[in-house]
Amino acid sequence: MADRQDETGWRFGPVSGPDMAEWCAFLRDDNAIHLRREAAEAAGFGPRRVNPGPANLAYVISAVMAAHPQAEFVEIAAFFAGNVFEDDRLAVALTPEPGATLHAEGRETPVLRVQFRFKEHE
Amino acid sequence: MAGRQPVPGLRYDLTATLDDRVRALCAAPARQGELAHPIHAYLGGLAAMPQPIGDFSRALGLAFDAGPVLGECRLSFPGRLRVGQAYDATVEVLDLTRKPSRRFGRADHLALAITLSDPSGPASLLHFKMITPVVDDG
Repeated sequence: MADRQDETGWRFGPVSGPDMAEWCAFLRDDNAIHLRREAAEAAGFGPRRVNPGPANLAYVISAVMAAHPQAEFVEIAAFFAGNVFEDDRLAVALTPEPGATLHAEGRETPVLRVQFRFKEHE
Repeated sequence: MAGRQPVPGLRYDLTATLDDRVRALCAAPARQGELAHPIHAYLGGLAAMPQPIGDFSRALGLAFDAGPVLGECRLSFPGRLRVGQAYDATVEVLDLTRKPSRRFGRADHLALAITLSDPSGPASLLHFKMITPVVDDG
């Protein structure tokens, strides 16, 4: 999972099948849409494996951590509006409230919207 | 189903090695001190459920093998998740409701809360809603 920051925000990807399998092992999640292309297709998601939602959220959190290295989270609220598939290239756009959106290349609307609250410095 | 009492889960051993690997998978900055990546509230929550999420869902009568998706989630941090610390999980079914679905026709919406606690109290709270297609009325 390469990453880089440019003037438009953070970019990740391409999302890989082996990474999905590793996320699933951490999550103890045997949902076959993450692990087998034929299962994703049979479930109506198309021919590519579906990235686990918590992995999508982790990319966004990482981008926010990089942008706010001293910040500590009180709350993270995430709204999953679409799916990320293997081979997708992703971009995180930070928003001021503070929040962020995750975009998959080639799709107009964000696949994930996230809002954050940070701890006040003690 | 909603209103079930919280049930104890397993213990989540949050090691530095595990946190390093998770950070590598999601291109996170290097760890500062002992503070773990916040996504462990989610990873640890599911990893420390009394059963894997698939078995847990199937036991509730959900068609987990039809390909559920996440709807929304909230991670809260009343304490801190640190590497080198083990956390005990508590799992609660908040709601299970069948609703019409644009994508699936009908879907079961499961809301779960999972708390990870250390000896000083709750460190993280995970609330999430999972949407599972209805494939059979049973």
